[in-house]
Amino acid sequence: MTQWFEPGEIVADVYEVRALLGAGAMGEVYDAHDRALNRRVALKVARPGIAPDYLVREGRALAAIRHPGVVTVHTIGKHRGLAFLVLERVYGLSLERMIDERRGRGERFAVGEALDLLVAIADALSVVHGAGLVHRDVKPGNVMLAPGGRVVLMDFGLVLPHADRAGHRTAAGSLQYMGPEALSGDIVEGAAALLDVYAVGVLAYELLCGIAPFDGGDSREVYRSKVRKPLPPVSRLRPDVPAALGDLVAQLMAPDPQERPQGAEAVLWQLRALRSRVGAGTEARPFSVLIVDDDGDMRRALALYVRAAAPGAEIETIGDGRTAIRAVRRRVPDLLLVDLDLPDINGIEVCMLLRGMRLGDACLIVSISSRATRADVELLQQLGVRSLEKGPALVTQLAEIIERMRPNH
Amino acid sequence: MTRASDPAVEALIAAARADFAGTLVSKAVALEALVSCGAWEDARRAAHKLRGSAGVYGFAELGAAAAELDDVLSRVEETPDAAQQALVREKLRELCALAEHASRAGR
Repeated sequence: MTQWFEPGEIVADVYEVRALLGAGAMGEVYDAHDRALNRRVALKVARPGIAPDYLVREGRALAAIRHPGVVTVHTIGKHRGLAFLVLERVYGLSLERMIDERRGRGERFAVGEALDLLVAIADALSVVHGAGLVHRDVKPGNVMLAPGGRVVLMDFGLVLPHADRAGHRTAAGSLQYMGPEALSGDIVEGAAALLDVYAVGVLAYELLCGIAPFDGGDSREVYRSKVRKPLPPVSRLRPDVPAALGDLVAQLMAPDPQERPQGAEAVLWQLRALRSRVGAGTEARPFSVLIVDDDGDMRRALALYVRAAAPGAEIETIGDGRTAIRAVRRRVPDLLLVDLDLPDINGIEVCMLLRGMRLGDACLIVSISSRATRADVELLQQLGVRSLEKGPALVTQLAEIIERMRPNH
Repeated sequence: MTRASDPAVEALIAAARADFAGTLVSKAVALEALVSCGAWEDARRAAHKLRGSAGVYGFAELGAAAAELDDVLSRVEETPDAAQQALVREKLRELCALAEHASRAGR
């Protein structure tokens, strides 16, 4: 596979390419360091031969939206004749990977957990639709689960304005999640957003039932399955799912777009209503925090401050780096507070190991130190680790971080 | 120093602070012992810990004094010269006085 940018290459005098994160039909995405603002970014590059318009379209669409559930665009540019987009570097797991992992372990998403995810996706999508856009590629692989329960809709490469009739005539997206009207080229004017609604339905079915409903086959077979072959109802595969939720999933996947809820906002309200009826907190995993510090006094203080900021949080305290890594392997916490000055492997090494093993992707790591050098802080920033200084301000800063991670608590 | 709104957590934080204050004199004595026997790196580590924990428990002045001692000890090579030793002892004296004061005030 050709890599258009090489690790170490400085793109547009600012972005130092670190590694290839992924590649698709349209282009490649790189992990890069923004040397001007000292932050990690994602660089999306259009393959040569692909009309650079698509990156411009994606960039402009993202620039029109400001929402925590939608990846942020920083800028757009050209380097060596290649168009590139600079995006927020979102650390986390894709929903696709999480579904695969659960499937591998024979586990299902609890109803409340699935609803929380669906509410977050519908919320982001309602903002996209509100901006007059249609995502057209909603699928688990384009949903990132970032630290603190943040759910982020990614990859706006196929986005189109709602009103772009000509554009919507071209089938695009992932076969499984594509509405049948996209496959038949029969999208009614003003109904393009219903493609995203359909995709949310397929995703919801997969989350709740643990099976991808239209997996395999060519486009003709998939089309036939979507319009002619009714799926087993959710309630048959998951008797614990409320009937109203099963009905909503069936409506979202209605072959006739006019029978679906008419936009993401309508879906969002229905999902929220269902969420409020499903036992709050009975299935959701409690907010978990791992504190790593070799000083017992610090461990005790930090645990209490976390408890003050997040009542009900599960708090584990550990005195050394090796045990901390084992603990994260066992279970990834939502928040990891790590002292830099640990006796065996130091805090920076812990962060590097966790990021290197991709163990800490789904948690927010905050380093705590009283003597971090500027170089330490910069290195930690590059690892996506926030640095705090031990001292009187720490308590307030910690509480603010926790509040931001748990906005609804 | 706290943001706790739950009285039970507030009480726990107050108890932890009082416990911490109760250990300050012994921490200072241990530091003196490390310095007097020339265990510079151990002394630095102890000062460094106190620097962090004192600040977090709300003993800002003591935390600042521990930070000064930590910084001085960090510059010490294997065998400090007379001037460095004098500076360490001066900073240690200040720290011990503040630890005693904090211990009385914090309980």
